[in-house]
Amino acid sequence: MARPRSEPTTSMSLFATRTERTTPLRYTETSNLRYDTVDGPGDEVPALIRLQLAGILEHRDVALRAVSTACKLVTPRPQGRPWNEFQMQVVSAVGEAFNNVVLHGYAGRKEGSIDLRIQTRRGLIRIELRDWGASFDPTKVPPPAFDTLPESGLGLYIMQSFMHMTYRAGRPNLLTLSKRYLAERASAARKTEGAT
Amino acid sequence: MRFEISPAKDGVTRLVIEGELDAVSVAELRGDLEKLVKTRPSVVDVDLSQLRMVDSSGVGALVSLYKRVRAQGGSVVIKGLRDQPLAIFRLLRLDRVMLNAEPRVPPSSPTHKQSKSRH
Repeated sequence: MARPRSEPTTSMSLFATRTERTTPLRYTETSNLRYDTVDGPGDEVPALIRLQLAGILEHRDVALRAVSTACKLVTPRPQGRPWNEFQMQVVSAVGEAFNNVVLHGYAGRKEGSIDLRIQTRRGLIRIELRDWGASFDPTKVPPPAFDTLPESGLGLYIMQSFMHMTYRAGRPNLLTLSKRYLAERASAARKTEGAT
Repeated sequence: MRFEISPAKDGVTRLVIEGELDAVSVAELRGDLEKLVKTRPSVVDVDLSQLRMVDSSGVGALVSLYKRVRAQGGSVVIKGLRDQPLAIFRLLRLDRVMLNAEPRVPPSSPTHKQSKSRH
């Protein structure tokens, strides 16, 4: 994918097999994602982080650590209650998405991979998960029947509650989760008002 | 994830879960929860004050424990939820039913002895 040279990109591949339990790690490109903009505050800080992971639960934590860290890129002040809640919701939703692929998409298969792309800019994070497993139709999944204390079917509800979700079945299946960091928006609006 | 199941005083079995209870770690817990349910405990006191993160798989295991113990006439009391786990419980509307519930059955004498921990 062609991207402007000014946008930093980190790409990393992680592969493991169920039998050998080996995880060769290969960095294909690494850049400093927290670069300081020369144009001053208020400018967007776009970033793309790309991970290719084995579709096994043991790699979930790698994905979530990347997502958790990427949440810091949506604001120059990644702290405080609103940001903590933002990060918590994003990490929770992506964790459920990863589970979904491994436990359902790749159920009964020995191998499978997950292509995780994290895009950030000020006030927004967007995460794409591509997999080559069984697809599903989110519109056909009924919401949990909370009165019966359901033990399953909760992951999709968590994803859709915490982030905006779209899904396209295919080869690969593409699940997109995005979320705006509203505190950043409010801060920008206050700056604009103050400047006028 | 680290957990410990130990009989406490007056028939109350204590379950402490710390760290992350998710699709990866829940497999370690399920077998011991199964054994716990088979002892037909009167009250299971679940301390989640050191639980940092939970996902739907972890929630499923706790809900299963809650329902099965209650079906046997016992009670499960979940305490100490905070941060992300509390947010998940609230989102899934489990906080109204499962949190800080009073035991349905008065504690009786200890029903079993079991102590195990995972590190």
